[in-house]
This record gives sequence, C-alpha cells and structure tokens, in this order.
Amino acid sequence: MRDSSKPEAAFVLLLLQALFWMAAGISAIPFAVGGEVFMLALAMGSLLLALGACLLGIGIVWRRRWPRRLAMGLEVLCLAGSLLLLALPVGANHGLVSWMVNVVLPAAVILLLRKPASEVRAFN
Amino acid sequence: MFDIAPDHAIGLLAGFLALPVALTAVLLRPARRSVLGTQLAASVLMFVVGAIHLGLVASHLDEPVTAWLFAANGATYIGLSQLFTWRWWRPASASLVVMSVLGYIVYVIVGLDSPDQVSIATKLLELVALGLVLVPVRGEPATARRTWRWTALGIAVPMLMVATTSSVWIVDLARPDARHAHAGAILQPTNQVATPEQAAAAAALLAETKAAIAPYEDWHAAWAAGYRPGGPQNMPSTHWMNQRYVDAGYVLDPNRPQGLVYANSRQGPVLLGAMFQMKHLGQFGPDPGGPLTAWHEHQDICFTPFGFEFSLMTPTATCPVGSIDISVPPMLHVWIVANPKGGPFAVDIDDRVVRAIDNA
Repeated sequence: MRDSSKPEAAFVLLLLQALFWMAAGISAIPFAVGGEVFMLALAMGSLLLALGACLLGIGIVWRRRWPRRLAMGLEVLCLAGSLLLLALPVGANHGLVSWMVNVVLPAAVILLLRKPASEVRAFN
Repeated sequence: MFDIAPDHAIGLLAGFLALPVALTAVLLRPARRSVLGTQLAASVLMFVVGAIHLGLVASHLDEPVTAWLFAANGATYIGLSQLFTWRWWRPASASLVVMSVLGYIVYVIVGLDSPDQVSIATKLLELVALGLVLVPVRGEPATARRTWRWTALGIAVPMLMVATTSSVWIVDLARPDARHAHAGAILQPTNQVATPEQAAAAAALLAETKAAIAPYEDWHAAWAAGYRPGGPQNMPSTHWMNQRYVDAGYVLDPNRPQGLVYANSRQGPVLLGAMFQMKHLGQFGPDPGGPLTAWHEHQDICFTPFGFEFSLMTPTATCPVGSIDISVPPMLHVWIVANPKGGPFAVDIDDRVVRAIDNA
C-alpha cells in the first residue's frame, strides 16, 4: 500500500517558507551594514530559521515524529502571530500575498501534518 | 508591488471562481484514485493559475502579444491540469511552470509588466505547483526517477523563487511609480505643478517653522521640551520625537512639531529640520503648498523594538524574524538647511548635506 503524500506536500510548503525567511534575512543585511546593528542579529536569526524549516521538512519526509511536532508548533506560532498582527491597528500589510504567505501557508501545513486516526501509520 | 493593478483584478476574480470548478473537476474523475494527492493538488493549482491567465486576456487586448501569451498559457495550464494520469505529465507540467515563471521575470525586467499582488500571488501558486509536481513520494514505483526529481526540486524551486523575488524587488525599487518617493514611502496625491499661491504658502510654512524651531539648534533645549532621540545614534541623522505632541495630534503646528531631525556630527547633534506627523494611518495632513508640501506615509516597513531599527518587507510579505510589518502615519519634513536634492520639504535629506556638516 502506498503511503500518504501529505508529508511530501508539507515539505514543499516548508521549503517555500524557508525561502521566504531566507529572503527576509538577506534583505536585512544591507540595513545592518548601514549601521543598524540589531538587524544583523535578526538577519542571522531569519537565516537560521530558514535552515531549521528546511531540516524539519526533510525530517517530515523521513516520517520522523519530532520534526512533525516541531513543525506543527512552529506553524501554530506563525499563524497566531500573523493573525494577531493583522488584527492590530499597526498598519500591517493586508494584501493578497501577505494572506497567502502568512496565514494560508501555515494553516495548510498544519492541516497536512495533523494526524487523523486513519493515517497514523504515515508517521510511524 | 503591494497593490492590485486594475487590469489584473479580473484575473484574481477568475482564479477565485475557478477554484471550486477545479476541485469539482478532480472529484469527478475516477482516475483520481490511482494518482497521488500531491498530483491532485498540483492539478487544482494549475487549473486556478490557468484561469487567472485566461482572465487577464480581456484586460490586455490592447497588447496583442501579451493577450495571446496569456491565452495560450492559460489554456495549456488548464489542459495539462486534467492530464495528470498521462505518462509525461510531470516533465510537461514542470517545463510549463518553469517557462511561465521565466517569461514573467523577463516581462518584468523589460518593463512590459509592473509587479503587483495578483502577479506575485500567481507566481507563488505556480512555484507550489512545481514543487508538488516534482516531489517524489514514498512508495512510488522505482520507475519514478526519484533522484532526478529530488535534484530538480532542490534546484528549480529555490532558483526560481530567488529569481522572481529579486527581479520584482529590484524593478520595484528602480522604477517606482509617481506616488512612491522611494521604497516604502507613498506620497500624498496633489496637483502636478504648484500655483503661485501654493508656492507662497510653502515659503511661509518654511519661514514659520525655521523661526519656531530655532531654539532647538541647541539640543539641550529640545531635550528640555520633551524631544527624545529614537533609533541608532550611529546613523548620519536621527529623528527626535516628542511623544506628548504625537499623542496630542497637533496638525502642522510650527511651534509644536512632532519630531526634530538632527545630524549626528562629530560636534554633536546639528539641527536639520522638523517633522510634522499625523495621528492616524492614511490620514494625510493639510497641504498648503500643493505638490511642494506633499506628505508621505511609510508603508510595509519591518520594525524591530531592538534598537528601534527598520528594514523593508520583502515582495513575499515577510519580515526578518524579530521584527513586525507596520506602517507609519503620514509625515512632512521641513528642512531648515539647504537640501539640494529635493528642496526644503523633500522626503529625505541629501546625504551630502549631512556629510558636509560632519566635516565642517
């Protein structure tokens, strides 16, 4: 019997999310060079997070349990943070891409990684 | 880049309308049971992308080549989305996505299209579809060319994502529209050329402001009045904000500007000008000088409380970890020093002015 392809779909989304964080990290470096020293720490944090998301995706494809749990936690955190930011009157971007990247993508990963009883074997 | 172009809105509508059709098309196919979930998801996304491109044909009829390309691309996407049981479906779909994304990048770089939310969102859908088409699934038959597909996935998706994001961003920064003074700053809409009355009003505002903030040339007086520096002090200039005046919401009051801008020179802070700020987002202030005194609002900037520093949000709406995406209420600078690049009400002070003060 063939395995579920949900872990592979989650991997693809995590790979894209890692690329988004990588771009954000790299984009902060010129500001750090321009004198905003804390931006260097944020850039490094973003790049490390991108690497972490990639590794979690690989762990998920290998059907390991801990990467799945970690990824679920990460995505719940991202989703909650994004929804909070969208709700606060701070002028956050409410555009189509923002919704797709910051809300739909984490929600899709959560849906793909949640474990219905019928698919328990997928992550065994 | 963060707006929806009027001629692209119809494509977005077509995409939303196509989603239930795409799902129904997949559900009605008995063959769906014999293929992977990743293939079905890719099929749905390709159908939606095809519908978006077909939807854009009508609004691009005045550009026949573009309209034809949209029509051919959309029809091919929709056709291929239904052929997921075809032996060559993966290479054909992957090739289509790669060509479509590369074509978009060329269009944007050449200047035939301006990046907007619909086009960026469509490229993201295409890249997700590409990933789903290529990703090998555990348990697939040995003939599935797993190594080749992992290699293609690991190269194509990151390369195309980086190429798309960087092209869109570079083009947006290099070719801002008339209302974007620079990245992240949108100007108040005004008439094109200042009338004599507006020019006189602008000159009066400059003179009043210059006289009113003269005492703050001594930064101790500014400190005593409640102004405090915000952000890093190692930058060429720093905004000093008066929170009491910000909260009070004084509107274009030369005696109570919300902020002062100082050059961080070797001799200590040197007053460059004042900054008036409105209290609410999207609420541009009174504009006595017309185009000469247009307010500007900083949108989609990434702010971190660590050191009160800023960077710019990426085209994929992401900020560095530890910062949040915010916009700042409209502001108007009044430079009391000569500002060769832009004049006394420009969004930015000329770097050469600050350097000259520092070297004085």
